[in-house]
Amino acid sequence: MASCRTVEFLYRAIPLRVFRDLLIRIHMEGCERCRARLVSPEVARGLFVRADDVGPVDELWRRLSAETGLPQASPEKPAAWNGAAWRWATAAAMALVVAVTGFWLLDRIEKAGPGGPLAPAEEGFRLGYVKVGGAPAQTFVYQPLGSDTVFVWAHRAP
Amino acid sequence: MEGGNERRMDEQEIIAGCLKGAPDSCRRMVDAFGGLVMATAVNILGNRQDAEDVWQETFLQVFRNIERYDPSRSFKTWLLAIAYRRSVDMIRKKRRFKAFATRAVFEQAPALNGGDPNPGDPEPLPSALLGKLTAKERTALCLWANEGYTARDISGVLECSASTARVYLFNARRKIKALLENDHGILQNG
Repeated sequence: MASCRTVEFLYRAIPLRVFRDLLIRIHMEGCERCRARLVSPEVARGLFVRADDVGPVDELWRRLSAETGLPQASPEKPAAWNGAAWRWATAAAMALVVAVTGFWLLDRIEKAGPGGPLAPAEEGFRLGYVKVGGAPAQTFVYQPLGSDTVFVWAHRAP
Repeated sequence: MEGGNERRMDEQEIIAGCLKGAPDSCRRMVDAFGGLVMATAVNILGNRQDAEDVWQETFLQVFRNIERYDPSRSFKTWLLAIAYRRSVDMIRKKRRFKAFATRAVFEQAPALNGGDPNPGDPEPLPSALLGKLTAKERTALCLWANEGYTARDISGVLECSASTARVYLFNARRKIKALLENDHGILQNG
């Protein structure tokens, strides 16, 4: 207590700030009573504005970017794609599916040839003969022009 | 610890981007440190209007002089040192203007007395307490209370020795305690 009063007296008496600062620092570090007269961090924190209290700085950024000529870009999003990127990816995937399917169909048609696949002759049709006396006959087919009538003439082969 | 390392890496990435002049990195820096700079400026100056000017000047200086940043030092401390200097410049500028206005027998505008905070602004340090602290004491107390800065960290912002920063902090804490308790004891007017 007595030393605190001495310090108070000296503090007022010493003209030079450097020595006053030295005196108070040495005294404060060793004096429990004076340290109890310092405001606590909790109380001091309640007196000040904190970074969370000042709100977003978007408007200030706009002013700043106008001043510096920086474009008003938003922060990079390296991990997450935006909507446009997803649309492009979907369109590309669909184009790939259409191209592969088209190629496969064209390949099949090319292999099949015009008119579809050819079956062996014996499976496609059966050849019959006009027979006279058990043997194939010589056959002639007549159709008069402009008529649906068909004449078939057959005679024994020589 | 991991969070700290991650933040430090993120910080270095932002700084590297700003060095290349990437607008996205500049924006990320503003998002990361804009609130801190604004809060510090409001706490030193006592009003939002001046703090916004200081905020803008601080980031302008940071973007234009980012190559002068020494990576061995804390970026936050470097940034706050710039904000502190800009705030002190603002106080001086207003003091000069106030003296001129008084001489010219102009009626003082409310802004000369610290300005009226806009409605909805965060409540600044009560002006009665603010007036009792010097800019250095306010800054020291604000950084100690808000950011958990030690005297050594504060000395990096105020550009003085750690011992001197400790004295500023002692004085600020003592004055505020005395004012809050309406105590007129030792060294109150120091």
